[in-house]
Amino acid sequence: MARSQRLWRIGFLAIPLTLYFMIVIVPLVYSFFFSLTDWNGFNPEYNFVGLGNFERIFSDPLFGNAIKNTVIWIAIALTVPFLGGLGLALILHQGLRGANLYKSLFYLPICLSLAVIGQIWIWIYQPRWGLLNLTLNGIGLEDATRAWLGDPHTALAAVMLAWVWQQLGLGMVIFLAGLTSVPTELTDAAQIDGANYWQNLRYVVVPLLQPSTVVVVALAVINSLKSFDIVYIMTGGGPFHSSDTLAMFMYDESFKKYYMGYGSAISVVLFLIALVVIAFYFRQIRALERIYD
Amino acid sequence: MTDLPLNRYAQEDWDRLAARQARQQRIVQIVLYVTLTILVIVYSMPSIGVLITSFKSNAEISRAGLWSAPAQLNFANYEEAWVNGNVRTYALNSFLVTIPATALSIALGVLLGYVFSQMPFRGSEALFIVIVAGMFFPPQIVLVPLFRLFNTIGLYDTLWPMIIVHVAFGLPICTLITRNFFATVPSALREAAIIDGANEGQILVQVMLPISLPALAVLATLQFTWIWNDFLWPLIFTQSDSSRTIMVGLITLKGQYSVAWGVQGAMSVIASLPTLFIFIFFQRYFISGLTLGAVKG
Repeated sequence: MARSQRLWRIGFLAIPLTLYFMIVIVPLVYSFFFSLTDWNGFNPEYNFVGLGNFERIFSDPLFGNAIKNTVIWIAIALTVPFLGGLGLALILHQGLRGANLYKSLFYLPICLSLAVIGQIWIWIYQPRWGLLNLTLNGIGLEDATRAWLGDPHTALAAVMLAWVWQQLGLGMVIFLAGLTSVPTELTDAAQIDGANYWQNLRYVVVPLLQPSTVVVVALAVINSLKSFDIVYIMTGGGPFHSSDTLAMFMYDESFKKYYMGYGSAISVVLFLIALVVIAFYFRQIRALERIYD
Repeated sequence: MTDLPLNRYAQEDWDRLAARQARQQRIVQIVLYVTLTILVIVYSMPSIGVLITSFKSNAEISRAGLWSAPAQLNFANYEEAWVNGNVRTYALNSFLVTIPATALSIALGVLLGYVFSQMPFRGSEALFIVIVAGMFFPPQIVLVPLFRLFNTIGLYDTLWPMIIVHVAFGLPICTLITRNFFATVPSALREAAIIDGANEGQILVQVMLPISLPALAVLATLQFTWIWNDFLWPLIFTQSDSSRTIMVGLITLKGQYSVAWGVQGAMSVIASLPTLFIFIFFQRYFISGLTLGAVKG
């Protein structure tokens, strides 16, 4: 019996684990390996360059630039979709009639591809016909109009806005799910004790939303680190690298310039940052499980 | 006798107070509705813009701009997009990747989820975390080695790398959701089946799977949406038109139709139809997937 169970277990694990290790874990290790080489993507041969790629990383102004943009990206992701999502969830949780229709319209962008979203927003920023410049002209702000994606001062912000447009719905969905798990007895009790709406929010609801908050924070950071598709489609990281993110920069170095060794070194840095988020996420989740179980 | 008027006053006060509160509440509600409606309209503008442009002819667009309502529903752009053989190839490729990858990632995730929830072993908790952590890996960290791998084994520029990679990267979420679902099934069910002489394979297929249909539906909608919408893997692993999927194809064709806004819009709509279909008809599953995967680790 125990033996047959063990056989079943091995049988169940064999294919998925092999696949996961071959496609995820082993390549991850290989990225560390290639980061020590000068592989160019074509030749089967490569040379070991030691930590040369990492030395280059830390003296490369373009890398510093990509880090800076990624940090900005994370900061925005932690504020706008986070607070906006929470705000929308709080409003839509009040049982307004027709709330479901509003909810649907807010999370519609989640089901759209970033490739499509990028396209849509290119239209909005289009210098002559774009909705943004038309609106600005319409309200008499002609001076503010510009080629939003072609201007190094606005390109990053313009791409981020398109991305935030999608992420807002995600934050809202997760907070809405969290809100349904806040017991009404608690908020009612606080109200009877004389707490007003904001006190109730601050001292009862928000603390109880902690699990959702952990998730939204972790997702915001991770999705920022992954931000590639929409940058690639809208600006390609330009103009003059003004909208480069780490993921975009890594792609450029590896698949445009074919510095695959250098690209691997960038991906190692990306992985180490992701690891911090993963550790945070699992620690928080563990702590929460201890509280709630 | 004396306390009657007092009572009456109290009653009137109370009524006034209640009426005022109700009035205040109604005002708050109206303000909320107005704000929400404005927000939702602004928020929907981008999608609406694409939709209406896709029905307008080039002449109409150059006359009235992108953002006016179409004078009539004109399907010429859709015809152009669809008759263009490439769009059909791209869409077909997307289905050929998305359907098997969705099905396989769920099937393999079910196996892992079953082991982790019903037959844990020493170290299985750590292994589980290693797998679920994959959910958070930016794909960039395996891009170069996978590019080399699929080049070496001769699968570059076929649909296979995308299927394989999507199955592997789908395992974390599929494992997480199935494990959490199986964990809620009373263990008495499994024990009874064991006493009846069922083996683990029979328990999984005959006891667990039939009651897991909601969880499987959640995964199907999630996985289909992610895989269909994916852009990075086909960008890395394909080169020729015959193996491109729709999201990369969309960007490729943009150059060809750089001034034909209507056709671009129609292509965007066509590329979004399958996931919109899921969004409209299986929204409940899709949304609970977004939150299930998230809320408990």
